[in-house]
Amino acid sequence: MATFRRLLGFLRPYRGGVALSAVLAGAAMAFTVLIPALTGRAIDHIRAGDSGALDRLGLAIAGAGVLRMALTVARRLVAGKVSLGVEQDLRQRLYEQYLALELAFFDRQQTGQLMSRATVDLQAVRFFLGYGLVLIMQNALTIVLAAVAMFLVDPLLAAVSLVPVPFVIVIAARYGRRARPAQQEVQQRIAELTASAEESIGGVRVVKAFAREDRQLERFAGATARVFSQSMVATRLSAFYQPAMGFLPQIGLAMVLLVGGRRVIDGHMTLGDFTAFYAYLLMLLVPMRSLGMSLGLAQRATASGARLFEILDRVPAISAPDEPVTLPDGGGRVELRDVTFTYAGAPEPALHDVSLDIDAGTTVALVGATGSGKTTLVALLGRLYDVDSGSVRIDGVDVRDLDPAVLRSQIAVVDDSPFLFSATVAENIAYGRADASREEVEQAARRAQAHDFILRLPDGYDTRVGERGLTLSGGQRQRVAIARALLADPRILVLDDATSAVDASTEQEIKQALREVMAGRTTFVIAHRLSTIALADEIVVVEDGRIAAQGPHEELLDVSPLYAEIVEKGLPDQVFLNRNDPEREVAGL
Amino acid sequence: MNAKHSRRALGSERELAQGLAPAERRELGRRREELRRRLRATGGRGRKVRGLIELLKPYRGRTMLMFVALVAGTAASLAPAPLAKRAIDNGIVPGDVGALNVVVVAFVVSALIVWVTSWAQTYLTNWVGQRALQDLRLQIFSHLQSMPVGFYEKRPTGVLISRMTNDVEALNQMVTDSVTTLFQASLTLVGSIVILLLFDVQLALLTFLIFPVMAIGSLAFRLASADAFRRTRETIGALTANLQETLSGIRVVRSFAQEERHLHQFDVLNADNRAANQVTVNLNAAYFPSIELVNAVATVAILLYGGHQVLDGNVTVGVLVGFIAALNGFFDPISQLSQVYTTYQSGMAALDKIFELLDERPELTDAPDARELPRPLRGEIEFDHVTFAYRQGEGDGGPKLALDDVSLKVPPGQTVALVGETGAGKSTMAKLIARFYDPTDGRVLVDGHDLREVTSRSLRSQMGVVPQEGFLFSGTLRENIGFGRGAGELSDAELEDACRAVGAWGFIERLEHGLDTQIGERGVQLSAGQRQLVAFARALVADPRILVLDEATANVDLHTETIIEQGLRRLLAGRTALVIAHRLSTIRQAGRIVVLEHGRIVESGTHDELLDAQGRYWRLYRDWAEQAAA
Repeated sequence: MATFRRLLGFLRPYRGGVALSAVLAGAAMAFTVLIPALTGRAIDHIRAGDSGALDRLGLAIAGAGVLRMALTVARRLVAGKVSLGVEQDLRQRLYEQYLALELAFFDRQQTGQLMSRATVDLQAVRFFLGYGLVLIMQNALTIVLAAVAMFLVDPLLAAVSLVPVPFVIVIAARYGRRARPAQQEVQQRIAELTASAEESIGGVRVVKAFAREDRQLERFAGATARVFSQSMVATRLSAFYQPAMGFLPQIGLAMVLLVGGRRVIDGHMTLGDFTAFYAYLLMLLVPMRSLGMSLGLAQRATASGARLFEILDRVPAISAPDEPVTLPDGGGRVELRDVTFTYAGAPEPALHDVSLDIDAGTTVALVGATGSGKTTLVALLGRLYDVDSGSVRIDGVDVRDLDPAVLRSQIAVVDDSPFLFSATVAENIAYGRADASREEVEQAARRAQAHDFILRLPDGYDTRVGERGLTLSGGQRQRVAIARALLADPRILVLDDATSAVDASTEQEIKQALREVMAGRTTFVIAHRLSTIALADEIVVVEDGRIAAQGPHEELLDVSPLYAEIVEKGLPDQVFLNRNDPEREVAGL
Repeated sequence: MNAKHSRRALGSERELAQGLAPAERRELGRRREELRRRLRATGGRGRKVRGLIELLKPYRGRTMLMFVALVAGTAASLAPAPLAKRAIDNGIVPGDVGALNVVVVAFVVSALIVWVTSWAQTYLTNWVGQRALQDLRLQIFSHLQSMPVGFYEKRPTGVLISRMTNDVEALNQMVTDSVTTLFQASLTLVGSIVILLLFDVQLALLTFLIFPVMAIGSLAFRLASADAFRRTRETIGALTANLQETLSGIRVVRSFAQEERHLHQFDVLNADNRAANQVTVNLNAAYFPSIELVNAVATVAILLYGGHQVLDGNVTVGVLVGFIAALNGFFDPISQLSQVYTTYQSGMAALDKIFELLDERPELTDAPDARELPRPLRGEIEFDHVTFAYRQGEGDGGPKLALDDVSLKVPPGQTVALVGETGAGKSTMAKLIARFYDPTDGRVLVDGHDLREVTSRSLRSQMGVVPQEGFLFSGTLRENIGFGRGAGELSDAELEDACRAVGAWGFIERLEHGLDTQIGERGVQLSAGQRQLVAFARALVADPRILVLDEATANVDLHTETIIEQGLRRLLAGRTALVIAHRLSTIRQAGRIVVLEHGRIVESGTHDELLDAQGRYWRLYRDWAEQAAA
């Protein structure tokens, strides 16, 4: 119930609109209920032979019809505005929250889950707040007003003929409750079927290579059979409930004929009233059903609302300090003091007591096995995570005392598989500095050795790339990312395995680009190649979250057996490496 | 060149067709395509309807039953209006309680009939519809499976999936919703018209005046709102895509502190969506109240005109009330029918796309007289003057030759490492040996048999393919490793032996459920190195005579690297293997290194031989060594 009340809170900015649409709906319903009563009167006047009164009533009904239309149009426009406003607000709130939450939150959640909050759950809530509430109010009002009108005319007949109403509402609500999960399960199984088909098509070369088409067909047939059987579960529900909901109101109509007819014959009631009763019951058919169904909407919205609030109520773990310190001028001196850091849910710290002093302008190579903590270490520099204990300082200031936006604008990352947005190449390069001119963008691209290939793209710098655009090769993406970092002109640059995706000749070019970028800033390189390590002034060997050794290449070869082993065996054995081989992608080999 | 020509002249007819120049083949294909298109254009609608009927044929009995229920139910649902008229004219006005009771009984009976028939009809419609669509899905799927690998390279996976899901779903909507609505609404409309005419012809004709107003108004609304709904779907799609992208790239957003910019983009899209929705709100606000108004106006017209007729004694009161009661039976179907139109359209479009897919014929099939390859194979591979060009739109090759007169003979048991730059033809050679394609010219032979003359099953069941990114199916490790033989045929000991041999047992042993661990989306995520090892085990269990392997280049840690190296050695031992090699250790161990350049073999020999020759391999090796030392 608390969730429900909080959901209603979203309507607060639209109080006026909600109240107005309620008033308009009430007035429109009043006219709707008036029409059968007037029709009944008209019948009586016809029986009485009063043609003048008949004409007047005809005009009155037409007038009621026109007024009802005007009111309904107004009501729909007002309610529509409210509903669209609520939808927009909700979406905005959720999006802002996503952008404010710390990175650790996203490590734990699947993107699909977060998406479904923003689509399925948000849809349920906005549908209820936007339409469901109005619908419930309107239907309830119709039933109440019609019932009142009927009781006023003939209480006995009203009581008898309205008996089915509560049953229909209850059954409809029950149906809504049961049909939804059944239908959702159908959707779920269709999703499974889709996944099964996707896998067979994605893995078609493996299937064909092992000649196992029959096995895949069998699996797919299983998936379709599961869809069928669940569809039938949903069908049985609708085949049972829908006709029942159609039948019950007919009993009310039969009652009007049976009891009402007798009362007209006995003279207790006029034929006009009888007609009006009949018309009222016809009028109630739809509201009865949809009231029941919309009660189901409320339940669903509450469940979805609870899931939304779970996210909206979360306080971002990393936020700007109240009074951020200004970052003093400096060249990017980095100090780590006894830093220990554990990922949420991980049994052991990713970094233990790490202390490191890097002078401004130094190029540092981080070397170590997968999972030894290299990437974690650099993530802490931009305060993507907060340390458990110890501190990280940039140019003498603890990163927690800085405005994160200011801090991050001074650190640029180029990683293994750089993420580009669905935008033009130029926009991607200018990502960190939207105000950059085209000259500056091209300048950066030139320095990153990206200019030439960009010019060869269909629309040059205006070629759209990313998920919904042209797919660049790994090496091309990497150079765009380097240009992006260059343009941001940060004090600290992080290259995470940045040249693994390119072939030998491109690497030569990129190495050139990197030298350019590294000049005058502190650079961290997470490298798997000797050639990249050679760029470094200093090498830090990381092992199991600890710093195992630190120093220049020659020195480390002597003092660190681990480093010596890595240099000898781990790094050089990738000859003719050519990962972005389009021919192979096509073959799926 | 001459030798090739004479071979062509002596070849069988089929070889002749294969040997046509690329231009001639393209022309042939184009003409065939043209013919197919024309057939579709003329026979389109008939073809589609026939196709649909074909789908329903196995369920004839149930379909008939459904129609019976539908007709009976619709007829019974029309009863209340005439019954109300009878109740008034025969019972209430003359004061005949007996006649009234008869009407009430008839009323309840008709309601019961509606209940039962609509139950039966709902059930049967969905049963038949779902069954037929399930059949269609299976038909599409097995059709897809019969297509050669080249077919998949031209089409994005998403499009093919969409045929089996979205399009079939659109068809489902059409079959279960539109078709029944079409029949039901038409019957109701016709029935109501007949009833009104029987009541009173003049009054009926007056009522029918509304018909064009309603029909045109409803249709116009549907058309306008179809456009508006499309707009809302587009804008919501853009919103979702934007959110998805922001969430996937959240690390970049954070690192560059660009939250503001994304908020702004989202704001714009959010406002677009709202604007699009506003249009539908406006349309609805105009349409639905107008329908209500037309209804009210019709009631007034009937009351006034009919009322005066009653006063003049031309019409009974019962007729008047019956008319008012029957009006709804007249309005609802018109509105429903206009709705059918849009679902019908998308259903037909879906059907079009599905048939287009089903009409595609597999181009690479077994020859009618294809022979079984002997079992077991010795494992000799031969490329005999093989030339190959990808056709336009297939692969990356365009018109240029991917392989140019390549000849290579691999004796049984030898490992050949293919080395060369991007596009040199390494993968093409691998694809031809698995007969994913046929050569444009020349022959590919296994143990002396031309691959075009043997069944692909007998070839592939004795050949293993290990792709670079070890593709695994969701399911258990057991199923994946036993993929080539069927999991049931393998004992745990056999599986364990294979896993041990390639070095995969170490990590499998440590998993909680061992071989029965679920992997893939809903299970344990394996690392790139682990996936590679599982793919090795899968190939080893299939125990192929010939192995085609594309070495992975993913960065793995030192320890895994060593295990993979050993696993690979164990896998290659004793079979003929074609390896697209990236690791120096693999290349050094190969019995022969073949260096490819622009689709030609430029060098061939062992590591030491090639270094001594100081040719291309030597240069590649030197470049690499320099780089490693730099």
